Amino acid sequence: MPFGQLLVEGLAIGACYGLFATAVVIIYKTSEVVNFAQGEMAMFSSFVAFHILAVYQYPFWLAFVIAMLFSILLGVLIEFLFLRPAKHPSLLGMIVITLGAEMFLMGLASWKWGAEQKFFSLPLDPSVTYEPVKGMIVTNWAIAVFAVASTIMLLLYVFFKYTRLGVAMRATQQNKHAAKIMGIRTERVFSIAWGFSSLIGAVAGMFFASRATLDPAFMMEPFLRAFAAAVLGGLMSIPGVIIGGGLMGLIENFFGYYWPSWKPIVAFIVIILVLCLRPSGLFAKHYVKKV
Amino acid sequence: MMFRKKMLVSLFAALAVLTVANITQAAQPAGFDDNEIRIGQWGPQTGPAAPWGSVARGSKLLFDIVNEEGGIHGRKIKYFIRDDMYNPAQTVAVVKELVERQGIFAFVGGVGSAPGMAVKDYLAANKIIWVSPSAADKEFTQPLNPYLFAVYPLYKDEASILAKYIVEKLKTKKIGILYQNDAYGKDGLEGAKERLATYKMSLVAEIPVEPTEKDFASQILRLKNSGAEAVLMYVSPTAAVITLKTAASVGFKPQWVSANTLSDYPLMFKITGGLWEGVITGAFGETPDSKSPLMVKYRDAAKRLTPQERWGTFYYAGILFADPIVEALKKVGRNLSTEALLKALNSIKDYQTIGPRITWTPKQHQGTDSVMIQKCGPGASYIMLQDWTTNDLATWKK
Amino acid sequence: MDYFKVEDLCISFGGLKAVNNVAFNVEKNSIFSIIGPNGSGKTTIFNMISGIYKPDLGRIVFAGENLVGLTPDRIARRGVARTFQNIELFSNATVMDNLLLGRHIHMKTGVFTGAFLWGRGSRAAREEIRNREIVEGIIDFLDLQSVRNHFVASLPYGKRKLVEVGRALAVEPKILLLDEPSAGMNTEEKQDLNIWIKDIQAECDVTILLIEHDMNMIMGISDRIFAINHGEKIMEGLPQEVQSHPEVIKAYLGEER
Repeated sequence: MPFGQLLVEGLAIGACYGLFATAVVIIYKTSEVVNFAQGEMAMFSSFVAFHILAVYQYPFWLAFVIAMLFSILLGVLIEFLFLRPAKHPSLLGMIVITLGAEMFLMGLASWKWGAEQKFFSLPLDPSVTYEPVKGMIVTNWAIAVFAVASTIMLLLYVFFKYTRLGVAMRATQQNKHAAKIMGIRTERVFSIAWGFSSLIGAVAGMFFASRATLDPAFMMEPFLRAFAAAVLGGLMSIPGVIIGGGLMGLIENFFGYYWPSWKPIVAFIVIILVLCLRPSGLFAKHYVKKV
Repeated sequence: MMFRKKMLVSLFAALAVLTVANITQAAQPAGFDDNEIRIGQWGPQTGPAAPWGSVARGSKLLFDIVNEEGGIHGRKIKYFIRDDMYNPAQTVAVVKELVERQGIFAFVGGVGSAPGMAVKDYLAANKIIWVSPSAADKEFTQPLNPYLFAVYPLYKDEASILAKYIVEKLKTKKIGILYQNDAYGKDGLEGAKERLATYKMSLVAEIPVEPTEKDFASQILRLKNSGAEAVLMYVSPTAAVITLKTAASVGFKPQWVSANTLSDYPLMFKITGGLWEGVITGAFGETPDSKSPLMVKYRDAAKRLTPQERWGTFYYAGILFADPIVEALKKVGRNLSTEALLKALNSIKDYQTIGPRITWTPKQHQGTDSVMIQKCGPGASYIMLQDWTTNDLATWKK
Repeated sequence: MDYFKVEDLCISFGGLKAVNNVAFNVEKNSIFSIIGPNGSGKTTIFNMISGIYKPDLGRIVFAGENLVGLTPDRIARRGVARTFQNIELFSNATVMDNLLLGRHIHMKTGVFTGAFLWGRGSRAAREEIRNREIVEGIIDFLDLQSVRNHFVASLPYGKRKLVEVGRALAVEPKILLLDEPSAGMNTEEKQDLNIWIKDIQAECDVTILLIEHDMNMIMGISDRIFAINHGEKIMEGLPQEVQSHPEVIKAYLGEER
């Protein structure tokens, strides 16, 4: 068994799941909405980067920055246009709204860029690899995933812990009423959460696209995995979902090596087991909200 | 998401079949008159399967050529394309609309196994001829459906031919397979195994992937560790891209061999960022740059009549799928009827245009078991490796 | 000019008139209590003042401005703070964090200035120091020193009530709405609270609106009392006047205990 290689590949794809799951959790934490349009928001932003690269031929870093700004705007807009107008929606109503946004984005991307798969690549030379231990090849892609994921995690940690806005976001998540009474503009908090989440999702989306292809449906499957990783991690804690993502990648790769036909479902079986034993996920702090 | 999609699709298909079963033999306008013959085709013009939609537009080119040359025995072909978005429920709707409102004499092509399955019985019940479904599903012709004629070579036959080529021409003993975990992939697996059994060999790795999976790292490592020197791929275009990218990153460089589903080299070359070069595939049509007189004629017509279309394999597949019905209509003559056309189709023997040689008999409607073998050269060029090859192991012929 | 007043306040929920034509005036730096049986509409009035409910009719005027129609965060920014009958704290955070959140509207530093302007003399640092000083003052004042780093969820009910009062004080409010602050407290805690409320009024330059059931406390600290039943005013006056009013005795004191 190529243990080292499976470890690297499992952790790398796991970091991608974790990163994307973080995007899911940021929205869930602040507004308790599971955003089913998350994958398609990332897809759309990745297409914007692709469009700038292919049509305007800008250098990658510029396309990346523009796509990142676009993704923030997209997140804020979707919250503003789709969710905010809904007066006192139920949880089911919210889910239906995000599903609507998902279909809208997918339709728009199909119309604009067509359904044909596109080639999308990060400026990472695929021919350069490192072999720190014999039989364990580390690619630039994997290194970039680890670097970007840890940087984002660190920034998020500092943001939520030390900045006024981050603290306001945490407060809103814990008690929306009290936050309002403290003068926190909770609607602005939601906007910012959607913008942040969309940004992080777009970064993860570009990593996924560069490993496969770019097409309007390419984020459906990764979203499902990332969502599962988020559930595994407890949907509330960011370190939890990162570990959840890593576990997901490792379980899939090690298990999938021996039983390939079970690979797509093994992680979901694990999740069902975890949820049976610990219904609020592996890392959720248990606290019961007063009714 | 993937489960939801799948469930929806099968639900729609089931509903579609139910509704169709209730309304068999609806009153319908005739499919032809003294001046025109009405022919229809469905195919995804929008949605995720849209790249395959060019098949329906390719058929249009042939009918335009036929009409330009004066039609068939005084009748022009009136051709209808409907977008079903690769959704069986939509296929049923558009087919019924065409049959019951417009009056359709015959259908040609039609992309996809599931969409085809949803309307197969409806068409037969209404005695509407359907030539050349654009999918290789053995259920189209086995058991025999008197109104349905297939051109598309079966994946099992193709895999058998490709496996023979790998063993005898590439002299490779260690062969692995990466197959999509559905009818398409499993047919490929079966064909390859059947062929290798005749050499007393077996596959060194049989690795399934789910159609929507996006991470193949463990599968590729399995193939690499099996020591496979050649790997057969029976997967989707996206899966093939992930496979090649992942393999390149872990330093796995076997000879890749794939089904004809991935024979659109310019597309595959583009979406793999050039990794497609060197891949060997089956093919059911001549290479796009072929110098055969008929290819030259069609290519020139395409340049003239549809300059906006890319001259890709799926596009001219639409032509070769429609060729046999034009041939049969010519044989029937002025005195047209469904029975007469069936008789003409049933007597097509060793008929070949730019695709494989086709023979239909009243007892056998799978027209061919032949593929070519081609290789992707530099800049997505087509290199011819082996001309039309039949499968001597094909069981359906016996 | 009147400092704080409500006029013709009306709200109904599904046909039920929860508050009907309520009007009162509150003088600056006074303690104004609202009494009435359970379900008489007291908390509903607070919810309208702090912007959680929007009244169907009427005005809430503070320092010459009508607060009706403003969102809760805007009303908070105008200096109206409150506590809740059922406690609405950030229960997954420490006492200290809860109090610091009360300083939210006084923090001007954004993410960027906060991130780039470091050092002792910077605005961010001065602001931070001032916020901490105020919060420390409140912790001392309410005797929360021993639980300052405890998670709120782990505290007994009475302490949590106190933390909520502290958080409202951290806002440095001009109007403070206290909704049954003594509920769930033992006698000793109640006595302390009594003293603290008086101290708050004396030291903090604040006008207090108080909902309370404990009549001893009400009579002891209120400047004026407003009695309400079935959403309508019974009477308003000095503590002694209210205490002896027959309708109040009948509607409230009479049936209570």
